[in-house]
Amino acid sequence: MEISPDKASFTQPCTNQPDGPGKRIGKRGEIHVIGNVLQGGAEIFRGRIERFQAEAGYWETRVGTVHDFRVLLFDNDTRLLVSAVYDGDFIPYLEDVLEQAGPWFDFLMPGVWEGYTKATDLATRELIARQAYTAEAFYAANPDLSIKDIAKMRRITNAVNEILDAAN
Amino acid sequence: MPDNYTKAVELNLEDIQGTVLRARPIPYFGSYYVFTVDDAHSAIALLKRILPYLTSAANWDAPAENAWINLTLSFEGMRKLGMPEEILQGFPREFSQGMAARHVYLGDVGPNDPSLWDMPHGGNGFDIGLLIMAGSPELRDAKAAIGHEAISGLGGLRMVYRLDVGLPPTLREHFGFVDGISRPFIEGQGGTPLPGQPIAKAGEFLLGYENELGAIASGPGPKELWQNGTYISLRKIRQDVAAFRRFLRDNADTPEGQELLAAQMMGRWRSGCPLALSPDRDDPALAKDRLRNNDFLYLKEDPDGHRTPTGSHIRRVNPRDALEETVVEMRLHRILRRGATYGSLLPEGVLEDDGVDRGIIFAAINANPGRQFEFVQSQWINDGDFISQGERSDPIAGRRDRSDEFAVMRPRRRYRGLGAFSLTRGGEHLFLPGLGGIRWIVANLGKV
Repeated sequence: MEISPDKASFTQPCTNQPDGPGKRIGKRGEIHVIGNVLQGGAEIFRGRIERFQAEAGYWETRVGTVHDFRVLLFDNDTRLLVSAVYDGDFIPYLEDVLEQAGPWFDFLMPGVWEGYTKATDLATRELIARQAYTAEAFYAANPDLSIKDIAKMRRITNAVNEILDAAN
Repeated sequence: MPDNYTKAVELNLEDIQGTVLRARPIPYFGSYYVFTVDDAHSAIALLKRILPYLTSAANWDAPAENAWINLTLSFEGMRKLGMPEEILQGFPREFSQGMAARHVYLGDVGPNDPSLWDMPHGGNGFDIGLLIMAGSPELRDAKAAIGHEAISGLGGLRMVYRLDVGLPPTLREHFGFVDGISRPFIEGQGGTPLPGQPIAKAGEFLLGYENELGAIASGPGPKELWQNGTYISLRKIRQDVAAFRRFLRDNADTPEGQELLAAQMMGRWRSGCPLALSPDRDDPALAKDRLRNNDFLYLKEDPDGHRTPTGSHIRRVNPRDALEETVVEMRLHRILRRGATYGSLLPEGVLEDDGVDRGIIFAAINANPGRQFEFVQSQWINDGDFISQGERSDPIAGRRDRSDEFAVMRPRRRYRGLGAFSLTRGGEHLFLPGLGGIRWIVANLGKV
């Protein structure tokens, strides 16, 4: 099907991650991990999710490269989806992310996600890599701005506004 | 007082090949030999003949002989030797795919493309490698004679490449820097770490020992095959010295200014003196003082790179504590450098390339090439995101197809037009088995 030239001019160069699953536009990457939920896992999940949500800001700030993140159960609570949009590569940083945010996942996932034992276990790392999926289509606004870049721009904008306010 | 550094881990030095722990002598005289296996029987015969002469790491800090010879195998080499498929499948994918196949991820594109490499890789002939390092040309030649003796009369085994390495008379690498100053201290290696030297778990550099993830680093197949082995990520890097000098000349008005710019690109003055400790002028005495020349951090003292630019070479390849507040776990990405210089010096003051091949053989020892060498190469040398510098790359060693910029903070300036000073001319991940691993190969393979 033909794409009209005025729409094609907005096209973003979207590639696969250079080493592992996930799409990539500029600095921005995406990943979806789909796992199976253990028998009775949904109840355990719902019992823990409030605290997991409350701690999201703390753990994701520690990681520092995730733009947004979600986890959900689907297919009548038989499967779970974890997805994120983040800066940079996925597989090369998997060990680092699990070292930083492992305790957060270890609070939620054991007994819920089939095969998940502990973030630091090799088997868990392999499970995540094995159950990771790549999006078929992806869009990212400002794909060259990382979390750090955005934070820096906010600081600069605030500083410039202060100067402008002072000048008035 | 109990010695925590030596008692915590017992390394089997008699089984580990020498190059893992031995620092090269200064000056050094070495050779790299690359062989292609046409017949597994011949290759096993080579291994069998040379095994008694391979140098272990025993007494590495005071070796009886100031020379060593070590043996490495590529994935393709192991396949040709008849390594069973189920064992081959268990090796790390970086090793099994090989560096040439992974060239896009590693940034070996454009002028660094594998089609331009002159050192064979696993895909076109690098099956077995012999590494010789010695404190004199005579000792090197004596070790080389052992290698020649071992392959003499063996049909089915071809030497396809040889490169001699040696420190130029200046005792510096081709861009003019003293190098090899900083390296991790391996738990169990003996002695005490120097100030500023990070202590790393042995399993980061040797299979069969606990690594920084709290697991025992291991390999595929029987323990005898991989115990005390490791991987060497080898790169042949051609240095365009004339282009480097021209960049300095074009961007600084005085010789002193050129020296400062070179130091800012490296993070150390050419003497080896760190900018972190002496940002305004070179201090040759400090450079030579092993108790001081590596004793510095970044996070509190210099978070924004006013002393050591955040994009400088040494701050990229070894960010020390600078990334502590980021996703990066520094202890997972350490490498042990075992490099060597090759080729004659470009005479002082020459600004045009003379066509001579000169550069470094970069050899990173790592138990996990994916999260160690390849991480450093792809994330820190060839990208700038981890320091909020977009696609800027290492001013000395980085790719140039995405950015040719380098920024310094004091005085604040953005340089453009970095050249391709370091060109990849070969590369492969190689297995460096323990001596017991080679014995296992000799006893069990070569029967196909």
